[in-house]
Amino acid sequence: MPALSRADTSLLGRWWWTVDRWTLLAIGSLIGFGYIMMLAASPAVAERIHVPRDIFILKQVFFLAVAGSIVVSLSMLSPRGVRRVALAGCVLALLLTALTMVAGVEIKGARRWIALPGFSVQPSEFLKPCFAVVAAWLIAEGRRNRAAFGRVPGMLLAFVVYGMIVLLLKSQPDIGMLAVVTGVFFIQLFVSGVNLAFIGMGAAGMVGMAAMAYVFFAHVRSRVTRFLHPAIGDHFQVNHALEAFGNGGLLGRGPGEGHVKDTIPDAHADFVFAVAGEEFGLIICLIIIGIFAFIVLRGLLRALADGDLFVVLAVTGLAAGFGLQAFVNMGSTLDLIPTKGMTLPFISYGGSSAVAVAVGIGMLLALTRRRHPGEAP
Amino acid sequence: MSTRRTGGPDEPPRDGEPADRPAEDRAPPSPSSPARRFGAPPSASIPRMEHVRLTAPDLARRAAMEKTRGRLVVAAAGFALLFTAVALKLADATVIDPLRPPPVVAMRRPDPPPPPGSLTSLVAANVDLGRPASRATIEDRNGQILAISLPTASVFANPHEIFDPAGAARALKSVLPDLDEALTTKRLADQSHQFVYIARQITPRQELRINALGIPGVDFEHTERRRYPLGRTAAQVLGGVDVDGHGVAGVERFFDARLRRDPQPLRLALDVRVQAVVRDELSRAMDEFQAIGACGIVMDVRTGEVIAMVSLPDYDANDVGHASPDERFNRAVTGMYEPGSTFKLQTASMALNDNVVHIWNGFDASSPIHIGRFTITDFEGKHRWLYLPEILAYSSNIGAAKMAEAVGAHRQQAWLYRMGMLSRLGIELPEAGMPLVPPLSNWKEIATLTIGFGHGIAVSPLHIVTGTAAVANGGTLFRPTILAQDSEAAPRQGFRVMRPDTSDIMRKLMRLVVTDGYGKPADVPGYFVGGKTGTAEKASKHGYHKHANVSAFMSAFPMNAPHYAVYMMLDDPKGNAATHGYSTGGWVSAPAAGRVIARIGPMLGLLPQLDNAAEIQASLAIPLEPGVPPGATGSLPPRGLVPLVTRAANPPPPVVPAFPPHDYRHQASLVTPAIALH
Repeated sequence: MPALSRADTSLLGRWWWTVDRWTLLAIGSLIGFGYIMMLAASPAVAERIHVPRDIFILKQVFFLAVAGSIVVSLSMLSPRGVRRVALAGCVLALLLTALTMVAGVEIKGARRWIALPGFSVQPSEFLKPCFAVVAAWLIAEGRRNRAAFGRVPGMLLAFVVYGMIVLLLKSQPDIGMLAVVTGVFFIQLFVSGVNLAFIGMGAAGMVGMAAMAYVFFAHVRSRVTRFLHPAIGDHFQVNHALEAFGNGGLLGRGPGEGHVKDTIPDAHADFVFAVAGEEFGLIICLIIIGIFAFIVLRGLLRALADGDLFVVLAVTGLAAGFGLQAFVNMGSTLDLIPTKGMTLPFISYGGSSAVAVAVGIGMLLALTRRRHPGEAP
Repeated sequence: MSTRRTGGPDEPPRDGEPADRPAEDRAPPSPSSPARRFGAPPSASIPRMEHVRLTAPDLARRAAMEKTRGRLVVAAAGFALLFTAVALKLADATVIDPLRPPPVVAMRRPDPPPPPGSLTSLVAANVDLGRPASRATIEDRNGQILAISLPTASVFANPHEIFDPAGAARALKSVLPDLDEALTTKRLADQSHQFVYIARQITPRQELRINALGIPGVDFEHTERRRYPLGRTAAQVLGGVDVDGHGVAGVERFFDARLRRDPQPLRLALDVRVQAVVRDELSRAMDEFQAIGACGIVMDVRTGEVIAMVSLPDYDANDVGHASPDERFNRAVTGMYEPGSTFKLQTASMALNDNVVHIWNGFDASSPIHIGRFTITDFEGKHRWLYLPEILAYSSNIGAAKMAEAVGAHRQQAWLYRMGMLSRLGIELPEAGMPLVPPLSNWKEIATLTIGFGHGIAVSPLHIVTGTAAVANGGTLFRPTILAQDSEAAPRQGFRVMRPDTSDIMRKLMRLVVTDGYGKPADVPGYFVGGKTGTAEKASKHGYHKHANVSAFMSAFPMNAPHYAVYMMLDDPKGNAATHGYSTGGWVSAPAAGRVIARIGPMLGLLPQLDNAAEIQASLAIPLEPGVPPGATGSLPPRGLVPLVTRAANPPPPVVPAFPPHDYRHQASLVTPAIALH
């Protein structure tokens, strides 16, 4: 990149000097590693399901290019722009998610997808970052005394929107996504400063919801049972994933030398981390975990320095969403938590996922840009 | 918190901010912000402290923000904890306690599945996965290839790496049409193994096509395929190898380590041309007399090298797995047969060598010997005194028994021991068998008598050939060998087992059997064949088969300077019109031996000596009833129960049996289960 003068006040110049370039570098590394993993894992999967060998690679090249541009474009927005985009996105995603109920494509027992010519979209993926921003805005707005309108019932509105999302995701069903959205919303409430009794009630509520999910959703029950009692039932995917990590060891078997991609159906998507573990080993995987942790923690810690509650909460929500998604993916693959199909941001195959994550990260970068003190959100 | 640093008063208005916005709604400036005008040089920075009043809501909002920051730190710590947990679990899964299948190389490869119909007992051993060294070629004495290893590949799979067993089996079937798809699917799905063979010894084209299928978990093992270009020729001698290239029988088994270690060709003593002739003539005789089996051996009597060794029925050495036990049975070294009259050569040799008898001595064969429950007779015997040459020429059991009696049990045992008749031969074949002999501690008188004419003992044909070679070659016993002797190396050392003059007499006696005795059909002009017939009733659990013979002819040629011994034997031959119903050695085996000698003589560089034939024959001649030379004592030491008496003054005229002789007379007539050996 050509050096940009500090005095350059063009849009690009101002963006370059205000954006969090470390996080940008981290995102870039993840996208780069995503390409490598797609080269490693997807041809085996493609051959197995009898599609052209390079189809996933070519698609992912396109998806990641789109994702990269989305990250950069959204990161140029002002906080206000972020809010507007998120609001629009949230409404659109809610509508589309509702649409999946009537026009969705059923895959593996869940209606999460809307088929478009050439590809399909999972609107709930977009709901996660957009709702995080919208919730942050509503909560922050609720704290604000406006002379003109009086106090806005922001918290109430946030819960209303959350309730709608719970309803939609429960019906799909997409319990994993619901859990992450709930987790993110809970963290935002926590950070916003609601009192600890309320937080305790919220935690209890989440446990209750988890229990209900266990009782009412057979696949949730089966996965939790299998996690808690490895001897019972089919542990095929996780066992193969763990074997892959074991095969990889410290330095891995080498690019392309892994076998787990030949056995696990979702090796290029949900279980891509196992492929990485087998072929690249502990050290590279620790670096990947480090990059995810870096992005999340840097986002959260940069919010410390910001005085605007909306920005703080939005950054918290976006970073938490990103971090939780990465944690759930890696934790499932490593048998740390019950299996939950969730993509590893930027590294797993998937257009909806890559674009949705890019939207979230783009907004995160926009909100963590260095702003002039007192600059309006 | 009543003081704060603020920006200068000339701070530019912010975009989109209403001018009438209350001051307390404005975002508080960062504590780190410089108190100077935007874009102004550092020198213009004049931080100013001033006292400002703060409203209560502002204070509350700021307190809330502090709370938010505190909780943000808690949240960040929580995430740090989550990612640390993932990192720890990752370290655990990869390095600390990896869940990893045992590596394939550390596993013992399972025994390969035996090919259908093969003998599981022949399928041997475990081997490492490394590429085996090239197995050495086996050649005959002239460099003709008998066994050679050709590169081939086996295809195997690791079921742990097979994602779709059914699909993989279907794809493999498209290349390997003989594959059992259902079985292969089952084996590929069996997670308890990490190594299963799919097919052995595939062609390079098949290997290429399977490789092109690109099935993960399918791999090749480059091995060798043992080929026997001559198929059935010397099959039992060569033996064969199992699917893993391990010798399962014969030379392949005996020299297994040598063949794998040393890539130099292993040169056998066999001459495939001679081998082919022997096999040809044997199978012809076998067909002619409907024998159930046959055996032929040619040995170089000067070195002990086995030039040919045939056992019929035989098998294709390329397919040892499908050979029946009878086909794999090497009659020449494993078959233990009562040698019958061919053993009289040994009896005569030991008697002569120990000076028990002289050539001019004889025995009373006028009446059968009754001993215990047994009766030893000569069928259609002369019923008179017989001279030593006559005993051999007419194959008199009574005479041979009395001669053995004269030798005595002790010297008989010692002789047989020296001749190797009581132990395994040292030939380099794992099948070499142990003779069946009476226990030395319980060597009864009847045993001495019957062994004198080749009954009550069972040895392999190669024992007979080895012993006869020593008789013919001047008295040196060579350990029989299947390996070619290096012409440049020192000649093989044998053991002297008899005096040369004993051998001289025995050669003449052997020649006499062919010129005047039952061996006439074996004579070949110019080759001065000498020999001895031998027919034994086959022993069984219930005594001897009256009508099942083992009919052999043991010969050597040329008797003036013996070079090769030829042994031909038919198992259970049936007489036919041409043999007047006889199935004895002289009728069925001697002609075959003669044909073999006529054919192999020129091959072995021996041309018939026809020019001075009469002269040579004269030097080999010995009268059937030789006179006592002047000065020689006509008496023999009085030994045994049958005193030997020199011939009467008026000997009966020599009776040369009309050709063809009725040679069934030299059969034993032991009708007893007690002596039958199995």
